[in-house]
Amino acid sequence: MRNEYLPHPAIIESIQRESFDTKTFKLVFKDKALAESFNYKPGQFVQVSLLGVGESPISITSSPSDKGFLELTIRAVGKLTRAIHQLKQGDKIYIRGPYGNSFPVDEVAGKDLYFIAGGIGLPPLRSVIKSVFVRRGDFGKIKILYGAKTPNELCFKEELKVWKQIDNIEVLLTVDEPDDRWQENVGVVTTLWGKTDMVSPNGVAYICGPPIMIKFVIEKLLTSGFRDEDIYITLERYMKCGIGKCGHCNIAGMFVCIDGPVFTYSQLKKFPDKEKAMA
Amino acid sequence: MKERLLEKDNVKALCMSASEQWETYLPLKSIGGDTHFIKLDGKDRELLADKLNLEYESLVVPPKFILFPQLESLFKFEGEKIIETVKPAAKKLLFGLRACDVKGLKFIDDFFKRNFEDIYYLSRSADKLLVIVGCKSPAENCFCTSAKTGPFLENGFDLQLVDIGERFVVEIGSERGKEFVDTYQQFFAEASKNDLERSKSEKHSVEQKVSLSLDFEKAIERFCEDKVPEQMYERIAERCIYCGGCLYVCPTCTCFNVFDERRENSGRRYRNWDACVFEGYTREASGHNPRLEKWIRTSRRYEHKLKYDYLTTGMSGCVGCGRCLSSCPVNIGISQVIEEVTKQ
Repeated sequence: MRNEYLPHPAIIESIQRESFDTKTFKLVFKDKALAESFNYKPGQFVQVSLLGVGESPISITSSPSDKGFLELTIRAVGKLTRAIHQLKQGDKIYIRGPYGNSFPVDEVAGKDLYFIAGGIGLPPLRSVIKSVFVRRGDFGKIKILYGAKTPNELCFKEELKVWKQIDNIEVLLTVDEPDDRWQENVGVVTTLWGKTDMVSPNGVAYICGPPIMIKFVIEKLLTSGFRDEDIYITLERYMKCGIGKCGHCNIAGMFVCIDGPVFTYSQLKKFPDKEKAMA
Repeated sequence: MKERLLEKDNVKALCMSASEQWETYLPLKSIGGDTHFIKLDGKDRELLADKLNLEYESLVVPPKFILFPQLESLFKFEGEKIIETVKPAAKKLLFGLRACDVKGLKFIDDFFKRNFEDIYYLSRSADKLLVIVGCKSPAENCFCTSAKTGPFLENGFDLQLVDIGERFVVEIGSERGKEFVDTYQQFFAEASKNDLERSKSEKHSVEQKVSLSLDFEKAIERFCEDKVPEQMYERIAERCIYCGGCLYVCPTCTCFNVFDERRENSGRRYRNWDACVFEGYTREASGHNPRLEKWIRTSRRYEHKLKYDYLTTGMSGCVGCGRCLSSCPVNIGISQVIEEVTKQ
C-alpha cells in the first residue's frame, strides 16, 4: 500500500517575485525518476510542506507541458507560506500529490475560452492557459480577464505583456486602485464586460478568485448566455490531507480535495447557501 | 455455522491464552469505575484480566481509538531525512465489543479504504477479530434498535456472544471466527437446543430493554429532503459550547488535524482528532472562514451524519450509541435532534 502522506523533497531552482507578498517558486524533485515521471493536469494541486513547520495545499501554476519542473505561486499569508518566502534558491521544499480533479482541456476543443481571475486566482488558471496556448489552433476565441486590487498585486506581469502580443488572444486587465502609470481599466473584474464582447454561443468559462468575485462573475456569465455546465470554478478550502480523509474541506456531501477543486456551476448551485461556495 | 457454548468462568482463561498469539483488547474496569478497552499486555496481564467487565453499559470512548488513535505520528524527520513510522501491525483480538461499536468500526473501515487508502489506519485494522458480547442492560441514551445497529447483529462480526446466565452462546459469523473457536476449542462446548432457545429469548428480552425508541428512518428522510428547519440549528447553537466532545466520542467521526513538531534538527509530523464544530476547522490562513457562524457548524455536524453519510454510503453516520448525549456538558444529543425533526 502506498503511503500518501510521505512528501518528496524538491529543490528550489529559481524564485520570481510577483508582488509585495507573492512569489513563484520553480521546483525540481530531488529524485530524478520522480522529476521525470511526475504528471499532473491543469487545475490540480500539491500538498507543500516544510518539515517542522507544516503543510498546505497549493495549486500548480506550471503546465503539464512544462517537463521536469513544477511552478507554484505562493502568497505569504500564514505560518507555512511566510516560512516558504524566507527560502532561497537551492533550498528544499517537500511535495506530495498531485491531487484533485482538473479543468477540461481536450473536452473543450473548438470552443471559445474565457479565463476570469482575481488576484492570486490567476496562478491556477495559468496552468490551463499555458496548456491551451501550446495547441492554440484547437480552440476558438481566447479571452483572459484579470483583476487585482492594485497594479502591484497582478501576478505574472511580464508574462501578461507577452500574452497580450499573441495574435488571437485578448488580455484585459483591471485594478481597483490604480497608480499614476496605470493605463488599463479601473474597477472590479465584471466592469470588463463593457470593454469586450462576452457573448459566445459555445463559450466555456474558467474562474478563480475570491468568493465574492466568483458570485458576480457567474451572474455576468449567465447574463451573457453561458450555460451552467460550461462555467468551471476552482474552489479553495482549508485542507490538511488532500486525499479525502481529514474532513476539513467538506462541502455539502463532497470534499474539495478529491471531488474538486474544480466544480461546474451546475454543481455549485446545488450546494446549500450556507456552504458559501460563492460569497 | 453451528453455535458453541462458552462458560463464563472460561472467558478469562480464553483471553489470557489468546493474548499469547493476539494483541488482545478487553473491556476492563478502571480505577475510576468506568470501563475502557485496554490492551492485555505486560507482566501484570493476569491482574489486568481480573478487571474484565463484559456487562458494561457503554464504553466512554468507542473502540475506534485502537485503530485510529487520538494522536499519532505520520513520520519523523532527522535533518532533511524522512523516516517512515508505519509499523507492521500485529493481529488484533477485540473481545467484548457491543454491536453498535462494531457497526461504527465497519463504517470507519470503509471510510479509510475509500478513494485513497489510509495506510496508518489500514495497517492497524487489516488483521482483526471482532468479538461481540451483546448488551445485557442497554444504557438510557442508547437507541440501537431504532438505528438498526443492535443490540445484536445478523452479520459483520467474527463471533457474537449472547449471555444466557452462567454461559455464553457463541455465534460464529465468519471463517476466521470459526478458526478461532477451533484453535481454542478446549474452552468451547457444543450448544444444546435448549441453550439456543434461551439465547433467542435473551436477545428478545434485551431488545425490549432498549427504552429509547426513535423514528430513525423518518429522520434520515427529512434530512435527505432538506426539511430540517434552520431555526433548530440556531437553537442548538445558542446552547452548544462547541467543545467537540460529542465528536471525539462518536464511533464514526474520523476528522483529523495535522501538525509538525520540531526540536532542533529533528521532529515529527502528527495527526490528531479534530472536530467540525470548532471555529478553526474551516478557517483559512487568510482568516477567511466559510463556516464562521455557529449554527452552520452545527448543521454540518448533524447533516454529515444523517444526510451526507447516508447519501454517500447508504449507511447513516449515527449508530445509535448515545455517547454524544451522555458526554455532553450542556445536554444536547443526536437522539434529541432526531426526535425534534420527526415530530412534525
